[in-house]
Amino acid sequence: MDLSLALQYAVIAIAVVISAWVVMKKQFPGPLRKARIALALPLLREGKADWQRALGQWIAPAGSLVNGRIGGKDCGGCDGCG
Amino acid sequence: MSAADASTLRLALVGNPNCGKTALFNQLTGSRQKVANYAGVTVERKEGRLHSAASGRQYAVLDLPGAYSLHAASLDEAVTRDVCRGFYPGETAPDVLVCVVDATNLRLHLRFALEVRELGKPMILAVNMMDAAQRRGIVIDLAALERELGVPVVETVAVKHNGARALIEQIDRTAAHPHAPTARLAEGADLHAETRRLLSLAVSMPTRTAKVDDALDRWLLHPVFGLLALAVVMFLIFQAVYAWATPLMDLIEAGTGALGEWAGGVLPEGPLNSLLVEGIIAGLGGVIVFLPQILILFAFILALEESGYLPRAAFLLDRMMASAGLSGRSFIPLLSSFACAIPGIMATRSIQDPRDRLATILVAPLMTCSARLPVYALLIGAFIPQKTVWGIFNQQGLVLFGLYAAGILSALIVSWVMKKWRRDKSEHALLLELPSYRIPHPRDLLIGLWERAMIFLKRVGGIILALTILLWFLLNFPAPPPDAVGPALDYSFAGRIGHAMAVFFSPLGFNWQICIALIPGLAAREVAVSSLATIYALSAADDDAAIQALTPVISDGWSLATALSLLVWFIYAPMCISTLATIKRETGSWKQMGFATFYLFALAYLASLVTYQVASALGAG
Repeated sequence: MDLSLALQYAVIAIAVVISAWVVMKKQFPGPLRKARIALALPLLREGKADWQRALGQWIAPAGSLVNGRIGGKDCGGCDGCG
Repeated sequence: MSAADASTLRLALVGNPNCGKTALFNQLTGSRQKVANYAGVTVERKEGRLHSAASGRQYAVLDLPGAYSLHAASLDEAVTRDVCRGFYPGETAPDVLVCVVDATNLRLHLRFALEVRELGKPMILAVNMMDAAQRRGIVIDLAALERELGVPVVETVAVKHNGARALIEQIDRTAAHPHAPTARLAEGADLHAETRRLLSLAVSMPTRTAKVDDALDRWLLHPVFGLLALAVVMFLIFQAVYAWATPLMDLIEAGTGALGEWAGGVLPEGPLNSLLVEGIIAGLGGVIVFLPQILILFAFILALEESGYLPRAAFLLDRMMASAGLSGRSFIPLLSSFACAIPGIMATRSIQDPRDRLATILVAPLMTCSARLPVYALLIGAFIPQKTVWGIFNQQGLVLFGLYAAGILSALIVSWVMKKWRRDKSEHALLLELPSYRIPHPRDLLIGLWERAMIFLKRVGGIILALTILLWFLLNFPAPPPDAVGPALDYSFAGRIGHAMAVFFSPLGFNWQICIALIPGLAAREVAVSSLATIYALSAADDDAAIQALTPVISDGWSLATALSLLVWFIYAPMCISTLATIKRETGSWKQMGFATFYLFALAYLASLVTYQVASALGAG
């Protein structure tokens, strides 16, 4: 596979992943939020490395963190039907 | 929030529905508006910026939902009450309340102004539509009103250039020296009695209603002529959608075709070229071409709303809707469903009777939402010849009218059947305010159309683009094996899914390409069009065929029976996950959502089956 073709597949892979993310966020905000919290929780536990905690905070949905822990009330899900 | 934002004075426009509040908001803020929702609810929040040329001050202006009282009976009124009091989570309390009242309807609107005054916040009373009041011979002594109310009173004409000048000057004065109202209601005083007292002191009106309103209502609310007029209005709208949109649609189609050709020529051959030309440009171009038709439809709906005709249509249809198990109150939510079923279902919150509300929620998806319009327009354009019928009517417009009418008729039949099933068959009286007729202001129409266009384009650039890319991926991967004999599409994920689905849908005349398009259509119905465009572009024999518009492709490839069956499918099918999720949220019941999904699907399958089989038997297969 030449470089140009590899680059094209890389761009396509990024576009597909972003599209899947947009569809999940718009159509299934609840399950997506639960999945993000489930992924973030183990990373935010006491004793985890700083980079793991930072990654956990990045994964956790907006509004779900209170003082660096899961527990906020905001939905953080869809942004309306439009 | 920046320091500058924090120091900006916050104004909130409050008032009864139909007081001209939004027109005044448009006049004050122009296009400097931000439309969103209040946190946690789907009540529209509009905020804009006002720059006073005289004082050089900047103001943040909030257009609150219309309310008849601060004793909230609906979600809209609860939001208005809480924002005014400064209790709404995440909303800074307004510094000054601008209470807008209709000068021609002070008997109703002053009562609300008295309620707002009791909040004790700095307040300005804007007596709007003064021009209409003068035409009707209504004389308002603004000085007496100001003295009795203890708040500054100014006159405004929201639909005239500079009609809000006095209000802006007063806002500057109040901003410099804010103070609470100097008068309050006495303990135990009656709001109605106080309103009557104010009217007797400050207002003289020859008649309670305008002569022109009475004259128009004699015809437009007539049980026979009124219904006839309503039918003619609706009919003309659908004629115009086709007659006026064609030149613009041709332009957009030519533009996307040229863009596809250019992009295909510039990019090297390969998967990225295919994604861009056959996926994104063919897919999105197939949807965006219907923007002119959507805007023409909404221009009419907005004009009817602004003119004061819509509540009259609700009044007119109340008897018919009651006999079908709904009520006149269902009219506005059902009309909203022509834009999208989701705001329509949410608008049912204004229906107090739970039985009527549930019936309205369950039939709202049968109203033809704007997302169906691209599908209808594509199939009508491909299969119904463009010719004039009976000398004046556009045949394609007639078919579109028929599809909308079929949705409405089906909703009435379904609600009638539901009424027969349930035990409580009582009817509830309709109470409705009929505002004065007025000529819609072009600026307000343009702002409304702009908002609608942005919503559509945001969908195109968001969920529709995302689904188009995913569909392209599913149509291209995995690649066919080296010893493949059939077309590459047959070996793709989407090809396999489509062929599996075709077993179930073939009695309806749907081929595997249609079956694939139905899946992304679950997220947004118009994606069915972009999906078909992508599928046919990918399966085209050569590049020229790939960039050809979708309409001739399907008119050559499908039978009339298949097209009719698909049109009927889209009238009924529960093809929108967001709508079903909204039904679940609004009813709080999985059972009701399940029932809605089942009955809509069963209705769609049966109706399409009958359509296809009958049309085939008649030789259209």
